[in-house]
Amino acid sequence: MLGLLIVAPVVSFLLLATSPRLFQQGASYFTLRYIREALSGSTGRGIFDSLWVSTLVAVFSTALATLVAWLVQRTNVYGRRVWGFLMWLLLLVPTWMMTLGWGDLLQPYGAATIVGVNSHWLYGEFFGPLGIVAVLTTAALPFAYFIVSAAMHGLGSEFEDAARIHGAGRVRTMRTVLPIIAPALWSALAIGFAETMSDFGVAFTLGYHANFPMATYTLFAAISNFPANFSVAAVIALILIVSTIPPIALQARAARGRSYAVISGRTRTPRRREFGPVARLGVTAGLAALFVFALGAPIVGAVAGSFVRNLGIYTASGVHLTTAAYQAIVHPSITGKSIGAPLALSNQLGVVVATATGVLAYVLGRRLGAGHGGWGQRVTDVFLLGSVAIPGIVLGVGYIFFYNLSAISTHLVSLYQTLPLLMLALTANALPGQTRFLAGPLAQVQPSLAEAARVHGARRWRTWRVAQLPLVARILVWGWLLTFAKTISELAISQVLYPPSQQPVSVTIQAYLGNDQLGTGTAMTVLTLVEMLGVIGVVLGLFRLLTPRGWRRIGWSGVRS
Amino acid sequence: MTSPSAPSSAVVLEGVRKEFSAKVALDDVSLDVPAGAFLVLLGPSGSGKTTLLRCLAGIERPTSGIVSIDGRVVAGPGVFVAPERRRLAMVFQDYALWPHLSVARNVAFPLAGTSRTKGERTRLVGDLLERVGIGHLAERFPNELSGGEQQRVALARALAADVGLVLFDEPLSNLDADRREQLRVEIATLTRAVGATAVYITHDQSEAFALADRIGVLNHGRLVQLGAPEEIYRRPASAFVARFTGLAGEFPVRVVEPVGRHLFRVTPLFAPATTLSARAVEPLGRDGDVRLFVRSAGVTLLPETVRDGLPGTIRDVAFTGRGYEHVVEVGLGATLAKVFSASRYERNAAVRITLDPESCLVMPADVAEESR
Repeated sequence: MLGLLIVAPVVSFLLLATSPRLFQQGASYFTLRYIREALSGSTGRGIFDSLWVSTLVAVFSTALATLVAWLVQRTNVYGRRVWGFLMWLLLLVPTWMMTLGWGDLLQPYGAATIVGVNSHWLYGEFFGPLGIVAVLTTAALPFAYFIVSAAMHGLGSEFEDAARIHGAGRVRTMRTVLPIIAPALWSALAIGFAETMSDFGVAFTLGYHANFPMATYTLFAAISNFPANFSVAAVIALILIVSTIPPIALQARAARGRSYAVISGRTRTPRRREFGPVARLGVTAGLAALFVFALGAPIVGAVAGSFVRNLGIYTASGVHLTTAAYQAIVHPSITGKSIGAPLALSNQLGVVVATATGVLAYVLGRRLGAGHGGWGQRVTDVFLLGSVAIPGIVLGVGYIFFYNLSAISTHLVSLYQTLPLLMLALTANALPGQTRFLAGPLAQVQPSLAEAARVHGARRWRTWRVAQLPLVARILVWGWLLTFAKTISELAISQVLYPPSQQPVSVTIQAYLGNDQLGTGTAMTVLTLVEMLGVIGVVLGLFRLLTPRGWRRIGWSGVRS
Repeated sequence: MTSPSAPSSAVVLEGVRKEFSAKVALDDVSLDVPAGAFLVLLGPSGSGKTTLLRCLAGIERPTSGIVSIDGRVVAGPGVFVAPERRRLAMVFQDYALWPHLSVARNVAFPLAGTSRTKGERTRLVGDLLERVGIGHLAERFPNELSGGEQQRVALARALAADVGLVLFDEPLSNLDADRREQLRVEIATLTRAVGATAVYITHDQSEAFALADRIGVLNHGRLVQLGAPEEIYRRPASAFVARFTGLAGEFPVRVVEPVGRHLFRVTPLFAPATTLSARAVEPLGRDGDVRLFVRSAGVTLLPETVRDGLPGTIRDVAFTGRGYEHVVEVGLGATLAKVFSASRYERNAAVRITLDPESCLVMPADVAEESR
């Protein structure tokens, strides 16, 4: 199954990099021509840009995430639950939405102008490396935060106590303790790098408009331009995947031969650093400022911008507010600009993909968590780890290529330019990450809980329903919501695989934005975000209402009895 | 729950073997447990006792051999009965209480699907919780209970199952000494009160001796001795069993002469001028190296003024509540540990010790080394 979903499309596509004749895409069975071609001109610059931007973003996001995790986990900063929630929200907002929000906020005659702020000077800076690094850092921040935060949560205060008791000051204590969570820091760096390398949203919007080519966009351009050059696209895809090997290898090397097992039955709950009233207010304000920058500004920018008449266009009478953009998209009969069908389609995709991914990831996650499987399990494990590093755009283009091969479309299955193919690609894209997301919590469920149910007379179904499901229900629901939200706002795969006349909402929005209909695109973005958050709220509300009290007592890391 | 309600089940294992990849966890284990008996399986970590219990429960499938419960083969060639169809209950080492269910619902779990009405179930659960002393905690969740309370819930759940066989997987190992003692008594009395057959595993010899009708000693996946507690203590089948069931010390000796069918006079090398009486565990010749095993219970500590016994010096003393345990150095550097006396002897005090022949066991040194 994983072979058809991921391996075959990606590998056959990657083979084009040096062997285009294998699939009738060129004259040579082996050539380095496309590698040279990909490394020169704007594609070469795109690869170079992606590499240095990703390195910088990985370092910035890990440093920032470590600071935030320490403040939230180890100090008495106000609103610790709120910051955790906002990190989740940040995780759900796609980078193209952030870019759009920032653009709406800063552009001349945009949202900032409503309150009389002249942001011309910043707008120019935003459409360049500075804005790109800033947006991508905020996008990578939640990934790094959740990794570092989990490590800090498990790190008892005895290590700090021991250092302090033996004469270390604060700085030396930090230098002593931080290496204990080194694997988490390396992991955060690796994921920050891989996520940034594979990001398409910023490359497609901000990067393109700023004339700052990035690898994922040049890959898209290679197959979108006429004539399409799949071999150059394959070289870029190969570089995108291979580029994630060094940070992962560094992570593995850092952890090799040492034990970082810090959680045991004797681990004490970490003691919090007690800030004084002024310092406490200060660091709380600092955190608030971070989230205003990362989340508040783009959301406010998008929402405010969606109400500006002729957003981004000079009007002699000044900036005026209007609901015209919303009226246009909710009354399609007047303008033909409907959000209804694309949003409904994206919701359908979200539900189907999140459900299919949830079921498959649960099965695979349990296999991974079982911990004593044979080579089959190890292969699955390595494969899923590697697949996380495959960018969506690579998978999407791989699907176009593989399912358009005559051997496949004529003799096996004809899925090219159909909705099922888009669903399959989105599922394949979400599956590795979702499996990794579920594997940890699933592994935490003590096997003895199921064994106790079986021994006391419960059959398999009742054992699962009574002794297993309640323990993992919350993480399954969160996993479903995460995939649902990511699918609705997914751009890379949707952009290359949507069937004719069936555009998902993210593609529709980009089409309006590309046609200088900024207000319409922004209003659609806001409604999509509101709808997405609404579904999340409803599902979480239903979970709270419909599940027994005991189910809700089980925390993410509290599944042990 | 005041009288036996389910017929107790006899358990028979024949040549049971269990392999995990290349590791043999159980090797040709055969034993039978009469209906209503309390069998304790005793052994060190890695001896295979948990694997044996899990094979009985149906959580693990034996690689070969036959397991029968109450005359029915539940595991054997071509047969494997799922755990839920074996009609047994189990108390787990980590309690295995479902954290999302209240205490009452945890205990009521085995009652689902029985012919009892809801009212009867509620009453039975209430009775059981009262019986184990936590009736007031019925609506609490497991994480709101102490370790001892959690273990009581696990015990009540096992008893609620109303089955003929109850398995205990080191149920007291996570508790402090005070609670261990208290719960040990409750496990013994309640299990016997319901009349179920019990198979209980532990690595604690005092727990085993206190609970068992019969003890099976396991080592490296093999059952090395099965018998009544007294038999295991007085007539250990091997040096391993002797060591594992508690020794004050182990010393090289020389055989002087046989004085009965199994009794010998020996001279300890740490006190060449003296002779002691000791019982042979294995057949013993007059020649060859021989080792003496001394049980703590057979060592009597006397003041220096008494003329009998071997001279010694107190090296350490520990108060145990009901008296004192001493470490005594005897003769040429030999040490006897856990020597009990109601009176306290101070460190470095000169004393005398006598050894009861029934508590002194001898066997050839090579046999003793083999079973290490």
